[in-house]
Amino acid sequence: MTDASKVQGMTRVTRSSITGVKLRRRIEVGREVLSNPLTVIGLAIITGFLLMAAFAPLFAEPNQPDPYQSPRDWSNIDVPPGVAGHVLGTDSTGGDVLYGIIWGSRLSLQLSLTVVGFTVIFGTIVGSIAAMRGGKLDNFLMRVVDVFLSIPELIFALAIAAVLGPAFSNIILALAAVFWVKYARIVRGEIIKVKQAEYVASARVVGDSTWNIYRKDVLPNAWTPLVVQATLDMGNVVLIGATLSFIGLAQAGLTEWGALVSSGQSGLLAGEWWVSTFAGLAVVLWALAFNLVGDGLRDVLDPKTEGR
Amino acid sequence: MQVRDYLLRRLALLPLIMLGVSVIVFTLTRFTGSPVGIYANPNMTPEEVEALEARYLLDEPIPLQFYAWISGVLQGDLGWSGVSVAPVTDVIWSKFAATLELALAAGFIAVFMGIALGTVAGVRRNQLPDHGARMFSILGASTPTFWFGLLLLVPFYLWLDWFPLGRSTQEIFTSIPHPTGLYTIDAVLALNPQAFFDALRHLVLPSVVLAFGAMAIIVRMMRSSMVEAMSEEYVDAARAKGLPDKVVIRRHARRNALLPTTTVIGLSFGFLLQGAVAVELIFRWPGLGQWVTSAVLSGDQATIMAYVLVTALIFMTVNLAVDIAYAYLDRRVVLGE
Amino acid sequence: MEQDWLLRVRNLSVRFNSRKGTVHAVDDVSFDIAAGETLALVGETGCGKSVTARSILRLVPEPPGQYWSGQIELKNSDGSVVDILAASMDKVLEIRGERISMIFQDPGKALNPALPIGRQLAEVFAQHRLEMIFSDAGLNFSTATKLDKKFIMQRLNRVQSSAYALLRKARASALEKAMANAVEQALADTGIPNPQKVMISYPHQLSGGMKQRVMIAQALACDPDLLIADEPTTALDVTIQARILKLIREMQQKRGMAVLYITHDLSLVREFADRVAVMYAGRIVETGESLRVLERPRHPYTEGLLGAIPHRRTPRGELAAIPGSVPQLLNPPAQCHFASRCKWAAEACKQVIPTLLPIENGRLVSCLRFEEATQSGAHEDLMPARAEL
Repeated sequence: MTDASKVQGMTRVTRSSITGVKLRRRIEVGREVLSNPLTVIGLAIITGFLLMAAFAPLFAEPNQPDPYQSPRDWSNIDVPPGVAGHVLGTDSTGGDVLYGIIWGSRLSLQLSLTVVGFTVIFGTIVGSIAAMRGGKLDNFLMRVVDVFLSIPELIFALAIAAVLGPAFSNIILALAAVFWVKYARIVRGEIIKVKQAEYVASARVVGDSTWNIYRKDVLPNAWTPLVVQATLDMGNVVLIGATLSFIGLAQAGLTEWGALVSSGQSGLLAGEWWVSTFAGLAVVLWALAFNLVGDGLRDVLDPKTEGR
Repeated sequence: MQVRDYLLRRLALLPLIMLGVSVIVFTLTRFTGSPVGIYANPNMTPEEVEALEARYLLDEPIPLQFYAWISGVLQGDLGWSGVSVAPVTDVIWSKFAATLELALAAGFIAVFMGIALGTVAGVRRNQLPDHGARMFSILGASTPTFWFGLLLLVPFYLWLDWFPLGRSTQEIFTSIPHPTGLYTIDAVLALNPQAFFDALRHLVLPSVVLAFGAMAIIVRMMRSSMVEAMSEEYVDAARAKGLPDKVVIRRHARRNALLPTTTVIGLSFGFLLQGAVAVELIFRWPGLGQWVTSAVLSGDQATIMAYVLVTALIFMTVNLAVDIAYAYLDRRVVLGE
Repeated sequence: MEQDWLLRVRNLSVRFNSRKGTVHAVDDVSFDIAAGETLALVGETGCGKSVTARSILRLVPEPPGQYWSGQIELKNSDGSVVDILAASMDKVLEIRGERISMIFQDPGKALNPALPIGRQLAEVFAQHRLEMIFSDAGLNFSTATKLDKKFIMQRLNRVQSSAYALLRKARASALEKAMANAVEQALADTGIPNPQKVMISYPHQLSGGMKQRVMIAQALACDPDLLIADEPTTALDVTIQARILKLIREMQQKRGMAVLYITHDLSLVREFADRVAVMYAGRIVETGESLRVLERPRHPYTEGLLGAIPHRRTPRGELAAIPGSVPQLLNPPAQCHFASRCKWAAEACKQVIPTLLPIENGRLVSCLRFEEATQSGAHEDLMPARAEL
């Protein structure tokens, strides 16, 4: 059997030099991530959107009383891009497309941050409890997760949002209620993996409390797939959210990208392509950016990379 | 046998999970203003509505309501569909058949083209086809289906008029019998080429749009498992036997790479189901997706709930089928969590 | 002696292009293998011996690898010579598996897990012994149609195969039978009991030793002139190792085959190899008759290797390791690669790449200071025991 004092010394070394090693490792990782040009492009696009959302009022004069409704301009409806000062044209109520995209970015940011933030935290809590406690509780929680996972995300969110009524806030709620299970599963899996690793056993030998083990040994190693999934979900949430508002689950006239695409549909058949196209492009760019960054992170953080 | 036990266990779990799904759906129905709305239709008299309320125990505590609801479901009473102006169960099968046909066509495209593209990308790693495939993959995962649909709609329907909207041309459709509910198959069975091509023409655009997203994840998985397979020693050993490259790729590398890809194929079916919602809406395809989108807009709860139940059931069944296929295919399978 | 060679590697250089630069994995390597001879290519991990072995069959993947220079010549029965590196792909496919075969380190990884053993062996016959199969089946090969050939080569998928088998029953079953016989025979030749059972098994159902036997059977199916064995025993239990090596020796003697062992196990060299070539950092540093080299190494590296082997005389716990580590092969400087670790290194050693020169009968060394460096006398009592580096 292992000599307890030796083990203790080992653990001590592992923990005391953590700060220095961790920081260096984080810089290393950061550098590796940035060495991938695609990831950099993704980050650039995200930064662009962040700036757009943060400084929306500067870029596009907010409409009163509700900036999230495109300003109507009945004298300038269906204007093609580049005409009369409307860079991307106007829709069937005279609302400027660029305005919609800029203020829509705020909504997208709000949607993705809220949903991802909530689901990561909630999912981690549930997954942690399940994994650390084990036994019947674990079984039960995992069956619940299975049930949630057996309904495709969009469809589930659709049902919830439909029941709650067409409103953007309900879309946020619906997505939050659906997306958390992913994280519960990831966290639980990672914790179980780590639980079986040796150094946790050695920490137990030393007599550490469960909470300490969790905090110092388990969590730091379990967060990698979480970060990757969360990044990807920043994009996915907006994709599904746009689909929901396209179908009509957001309030009328909202400057949400999906809703904008929908409002431009009738124009499409009349040859007015710009509303739907540009609004949809915004969604594509957003999802693309987070997918690129998420992939880049995964390539660096996931040990099972195809490095050959 | 280990495999059989695992599969039997999964099979036994199915009703349990469906029960869980029912609980969720039931909970959602109690959120709506009037739960009786699921069953009532505008033609009913107030007395009939009252009778319904009694029958479904709507004044009783929740567990009893659940019992009443679920026994109704199991006896085939899924409520009244406002958008179809008929009981849900009357309408649901034809809607399902339409979506099934669309999903099968899209699935076909996604699987075959996805495997082909993924194989080429994996073999020619880091060369042009690979970069193309990866671009394709990531775009496919970032493009909302509804937008892509609109994007293809304009040139192919509006400008070129190559493909029509909807599922069929009325006169041709009604000219043949429909034993299977799948237009293309029915046309083949009826030996009617006009109907067959009519079906195909309507099917092309929506199935291509639908396939896009699913294909993206299949290409991605196939590529990475091909890359892994190509670096395995048995590939070198096969080459060392004097086998030409094509045979080595096909019989040795790809055969092993297909295995992890089958699980992704099951997953992509979920994509197909979800994508169908937008695709059917845009291309006026009379399937489950279009049905539920109208229901959403008009607050038809019965339709929405039935849709969730049916979709969940289909999704789980497909996943189970895929797992069975995987267990059968992998000779070395060591199942268990 | 010179005329007896079967395979001649001359000035082979193989490079790999990576983002960080060019790796000179194999640098100006030359050696001969005579017909029926056993040559061992030894060295540490990463010294380039595996790349050299794979180059013989032109198996190095060509991006990122590159056959920078050199020839690999194979002598045909009529005396003509073919340069494997310059030959057409068709010619190379002919040679692989038929004139030169290879067995790999880990039989568990070198067999396709998705195909039954019989199928994998059948591939070899289908590729190289089509005529024989046809004649065994009682069919005239000149009448063989494309479909017949495809059936045997299993280019048909299962549906097409079944259709063929149904439609041309007699032909199909005759061909199948002939193939099954050939496979069974190949397995039985290597002493595998129960070949019929093994034929329908999958690799994971067999033990490690059995898998290696299957690999050998596969490699010897077409009676090659040269067998390349890349670390054939590293992945096996010690008890099985001896049996496998004896099997190879047996087959070799029966068929007059040459064997090239790639290994880092010097005891294997002592027992089975006629000659040995020592590689270090992509270059050959010494070649000669194996017993002579082991008795009296003439290159400081070889001497270091032998000194590093634990044996009866070494006090417990003291492994005489060679100080330093293997140099990076990335854009290496033009000097003796061993110079940084060699205690005899002189100024000249750091400025010139020593070439492989004959110093005695059949002995070649690439060292500028070999005379002084290896004066320390014979090592008879330091012969390697059953141990590795």
